[in-house]
Amino acid sequence: MSKPLEIMNLHKRFGGLVAVKDVSFKLQPGEVVGLLGPNGSGKTTVLNMISGALPCDGGTVRIGGTDITMMKPHKVAKHGVARTFQLVRPLPTLSVAENVQLSLAFGKKRHWGREARALAEEKLAFVGLEGRGDERVGNLTYIDQKRMEMARALASEPDLLLLDEWLAGLNPSELRIGIDLVQNLQGQGMTVLLVEHIMEAVRALCSRCIVMSAGEKIAEGPSAEVLQEPAVIKAYLGDDHA
Amino acid sequence: MLEHVVNGLVLGGTYALVAMGLTIQYGIARIMNLGFGDMIIAACFATYVLFTTFAINPLVALLILVPAGYVVSDLIYRILMKPLVARAPDEGALEVDSILVTFGLLFVIQGVLLALFGGGYASYSFLNTPVNVLGTVVAGNRLLALVLSLAIGGAMVVILFRTRWGMVLRAVALAPKSAPLFGIDTDRAARTAFAIGGAMAATGGVVLSMFQTFTATAGVVFTMKALIVVILGGKGSVPGAIVAGLLLGLVETFVAAYVDPGLTLAAVYAVFLVLLLVRPNGLFGKA
Amino acid sequence: MNMKTLHGFALAGVAVVLLACAPLLISDYWTGVLLGMTGYVTLATAWALFSGPTRYISLATVAFFGVGAYTVAVLNEVMPYPLVLLCAAGIGMIMALMVGLSTLRLAGVYFVIFTFGLAELVRQTVSWWEVNVTYTMGRYIFLPFEGRHIYWQLLALAVVTFLISWAIGRSRFGLALKALGDDETVAAHAGVDVTRIKLLLFVISSTIITLVGAIQAPRWTYIEPSIVFNPTVSFMTLIMALLGGAMRLWGPLVGAVPLFLLFEWLSVSFPDHFSIILGLLFILIVFVMPNGVLAKIDDLRKGGRT
Repeated sequence: MSKPLEIMNLHKRFGGLVAVKDVSFKLQPGEVVGLLGPNGSGKTTVLNMISGALPCDGGTVRIGGTDITMMKPHKVAKHGVARTFQLVRPLPTLSVAENVQLSLAFGKKRHWGREARALAEEKLAFVGLEGRGDERVGNLTYIDQKRMEMARALASEPDLLLLDEWLAGLNPSELRIGIDLVQNLQGQGMTVLLVEHIMEAVRALCSRCIVMSAGEKIAEGPSAEVLQEPAVIKAYLGDDHA
Repeated sequence: MLEHVVNGLVLGGTYALVAMGLTIQYGIARIMNLGFGDMIIAACFATYVLFTTFAINPLVALLILVPAGYVVSDLIYRILMKPLVARAPDEGALEVDSILVTFGLLFVIQGVLLALFGGGYASYSFLNTPVNVLGTVVAGNRLLALVLSLAIGGAMVVILFRTRWGMVLRAVALAPKSAPLFGIDTDRAARTAFAIGGAMAATGGVVLSMFQTFTATAGVVFTMKALIVVILGGKGSVPGAIVAGLLLGLVETFVAAYVDPGLTLAAVYAVFLVLLLVRPNGLFGKA
Repeated sequence: MNMKTLHGFALAGVAVVLLACAPLLISDYWTGVLLGMTGYVTLATAWALFSGPTRYISLATVAFFGVGAYTVAVLNEVMPYPLVLLCAAGIGMIMALMVGLSTLRLAGVYFVIFTFGLAELVRQTVSWWEVNVTYTMGRYIFLPFEGRHIYWQLLALAVVTFLISWAIGRSRFGLALKALGDDETVAAHAGVDVTRIKLLLFVISSTIITLVGAIQAPRWTYIEPSIVFNPTVSFMTLIMALLGGAMRLWGPLVGAVPLFLLFEWLSVSFPDHFSIILGLLFILIVFVMPNGVLAKIDDLRKGGRT
């Protein structure tokens, strides 16, 4: 059910600053790939361009052969790309279930009414929030809000899931839960692009990694190898450690 | 032609002046003040009363009304705005609340003015002597208005960009969340900014009343024009407000002279629309 | 449809029938009061349809209301009445589309500012047009309507407005509206075409408001811009919707009924201080119950339980 993601020569400028420079990579269906790099290296900008939040200045984004490059976010969502946000963004006037039903109603297919409610419960159960659909989002703990956001993303039945530092800010036991969840997704064959700083999670989840620095892709390959490359260590830790 | 340029600059100078007040209120105190124009009109009527009843020269009235505008706005901030700022979870909520409360304020001020002065046009004659400027004749009061606008506006720019105090206010405008980390009292800065805005509305009112007729219900139009100038210039940008204010004054005067005086507001709106479509962040705003 | 909704419908149906029969039993004066009240209930409900969930505060109610009334004044002698109403609705719709298309892509504050001056702009433009192009200032409306005829039309419009509001609240668009009121970015990434939904709702809401103006127009007999573009209409609509709660179906109704009666009394007893009292009352509402009286009651109930 998943589709491949193909990014060619993606480019973005902010005024005089080149935030993303000629970045290309591919994700095969069912792959979980890490997008790494120090702060300000352009990872989130890439994510925003894929999801349509930012228009790109050049290059193409294709999902399963469809060009989605300059599409608005809601169109991108309908083409099977879902995302979470760096800081969780629950919709406070909606209940937990309604947050999820929103994506069900406006995602790839249109689910509404009793069927949608049942599907929402299903998604909530998957992320570990069974039976909590009627609660107010504001009453959820941080990890539960993150779970809810994951359920909301999955509810649009995506072919590609973009996780923007989804595991950040979790304590060690919560982190374990989070990693298990993404592994479950992987088991279902979901394609996932993961922007992440937590190396433990990257090693556990990603078969492959792409590393960016100052807007450029500096390395790509199997996680274990890429994380050893001098250029990557230098980008993260500075010249002294290379 | 030249006559219209001069008149346009006079009008534009006043717009720039009042818009500076509004942009300071909105940019620094984060209050979208829909009652701003009514404060201007209140100052117009106050000048009118001082002049016609007590024979006080508008220039002297300035010395009374500008501090009064400061104090009144300071009180409005303490009583009405502070609780809203305290309860607002984010900037958007404060914006909505401040819009609603100042919309109510608009009706209160307008109601008071209507009760006191009725709904008719008011004006007084002050320094209505013709002066020759570059070959065209301009009324003395208009010339004085322009000079006052430029002097007071210029003084404001110097204060904001050359003094420590101005730097504090600008810091709050740019980074309201991090300003407290540098020991800046944001609450006080916001209150001061709101009060300065009020003082500038009073200034604008006094200046405006010297050469224009006004009614108790004209506040909405002034708020609207000031808002358009603020947006045209970019939220919180003082130089932007000056350029945009002058521009708007010129557009209005030329439309009134060459098209039809009844269409000035339509022209102002047209400028606003074009700007919204082309540069939503203002002439001097950041993308 | 479950039992509760059915009961609700039955109850509302009975209420509407009773209200429709009322003019046959009460005096003309009270029919007039009922008429005005129904007009404001419809205005407030239509206003809340868009501005409630999205939090895009429209201050342009009277711009649409006045355009509706003026259309009737201009066209009532030229074409049959139903066609006049249709024209009014069409003009309101086009105006809403123009306003919406130019401002709804942007942040909410631009929309508020734009609508703030819109009534004044339309009033001045209409005045200019009448003076310079048609050489008339003020127009007469000769339609064979009594108060109760206008009241019945308004009641029908109110019922339609409630049905629309109810249907939207239950549909996925209702959910999308609430979502985009919370966070437009999240709503967009969930697949909601944010601009389109805002535009659609604004057009529906504005068209209803235009029709209220059109239907009420014959009440005046004589119309000129300063009468039908009175900013108090925008203000009263806003305050009623807020008092009852703009996020709820019945909120605007709960706010409109008592406030309308209060305003009737105030405008007779304190004609000179009307807008001062109105302004103070409004500020009080924003301070004490920003989410409306229904939400306040809910809070109190919950507070009582725990």
